[in-house]
Amino acid sequence: MPLVSRRTVLCLAVAALAVPAQAADGPAAALIEKASGEVIALIKAKTGRDREAGIRAILLSYFDLPFMGQSALGTHWAATPAPQRERFLKAVVSAEARAYSERFGQYGGQTLAVGRTSNRPNGVTVVDSKLSQTSGQPIVIQWELRDAGQGLRITDVKIEGVSMVMTRRSDFNSYIQNHGGKVEPLIEELEKRAGN
Amino acid sequence: MVAGFFKTTMAARVRHSTVAVVAAAALLGGCATGDTGANEPWDPLETPNRFIFSINRAVDVIAIRPVAVLYRDWMPAPAQRGVHNVLDNLGEPVTAINEVVQGDPSRAATTVARFLVNSTIGLAGIFDVATSFGLTRTKEGAGNTVGYYAGVEPENGGFYMVLPLAGPSNARDAAGLMADYAVDPFRILTFALNVDWLLYSGPRWGATVVDVRSRTLYALDDLEKNSVDYYAALRSAYTQQRADIIRQKREKTNPRAELERRDNLALVR
Repeated sequence: MPLVSRRTVLCLAVAALAVPAQAADGPAAALIEKASGEVIALIKAKTGRDREAGIRAILLSYFDLPFMGQSALGTHWAATPAPQRERFLKAVVSAEARAYSERFGQYGGQTLAVGRTSNRPNGVTVVDSKLSQTSGQPIVIQWELRDAGQGLRITDVKIEGVSMVMTRRSDFNSYIQNHGGKVEPLIEELEKRAGN
Repeated sequence: MVAGFFKTTMAARVRHSTVAVVAAAALLGGCATGDTGANEPWDPLETPNRFIFSINRAVDVIAIRPVAVLYRDWMPAPAQRGVHNVLDNLGEPVTAINEVVQGDPSRAATTVARFLVNSTIGLAGIFDVATSFGLTRTKEGAGNTVGYYAGVEPENGGFYMVLPLAGPSNARDAAGLMADYAVDPFRILTFALNVDWLLYSGPRWGATVVDVRSRTLYALDDLEKNSVDYYAALRSAYTQQRADIIRQKREKTNPRAELERRDNLALVR
């Protein structure tokens, strides 16, 4: 299964010609294209705080952030009481919105070409895509989507094989272990970062 | 990251025991439990690793990162590409050797052809002419070779370790580095001819450090800024990325895709 399929090449060509790329096959691929189109439009129109707020809104409508947060907390999720979970999710969403807004802020004319879509037996749909840069070779980005009742939502982003959720889980898990196995210090740290 | 320095100092000593080390790494990998990618990387040396990690970071902040930033921002893009091509070309023999060991002599032949074309027509590798001839580039190391043959999940590379200056690694990849250094024809030749290190080793490894660091600036800055425990986040990202490369190798996907992965840690310029 060659990654650079004929369709990918075609998509690249299409994306290079027209930024609002044509809808690919399947709802999952279409969702990724719609989201990336919205992000690009937002970045072109707004800066600073407005951009961060806009990206936050896009994140909230396309990503299953509670699920991502829950996955990132791993085994500690079950042991965390509901009010703490809520605070944790709120802090994580802020942190992610800020991180993504900074990442997208580096935007300089790249185009996202959506490629193959594959379904996993566990109900997860994986959409392959390539971010073409103005210089250098394209970056491979895989989107994992899942429908848990509220429609298709993005549950993970894998950049060059590195899963954002898995990295976050390792990160959080280590922090919790180094702070007496408690989730509270992590929440406080995330809230502190979101505040400034 | 700064693999070269590590290799230069260790090299002579490890030459003879390389095969044993590689075999040992494969065994270690095989013995380790917890074979799913969902688990945390195995890190029994966490305390010393964190210590070396903090030293590496200090060296990086003071010396390496500023140079890499200047290089990225001030060196003309064609020159950066030229440097990268020369370094890649110097690595082709090691890639070819690994491809033979991986049981793919035809791919190794392509790599040798690339090396010959680029070393001559490409002016010592400055220009990657071979790619335009349809000879696609690959990059292999003994870490990949061990991972390819080891009958374990590629996330399992033995114990995690942070190498002084070279940064994140594990038993498999560190042994791979030493093996690659031992079999590198350029290294053997320059040792045999007693070439002054200022003429070859120094410039090569120095350029490698700057080239690699300038390509990882964006990704590592992002990871550091958005993590609560940078050490753990980097450990996870490194393990995942290496596993992904080896998995692609096992699943025999397009070699070009794997290469792009290697080259694009920089994410966005």
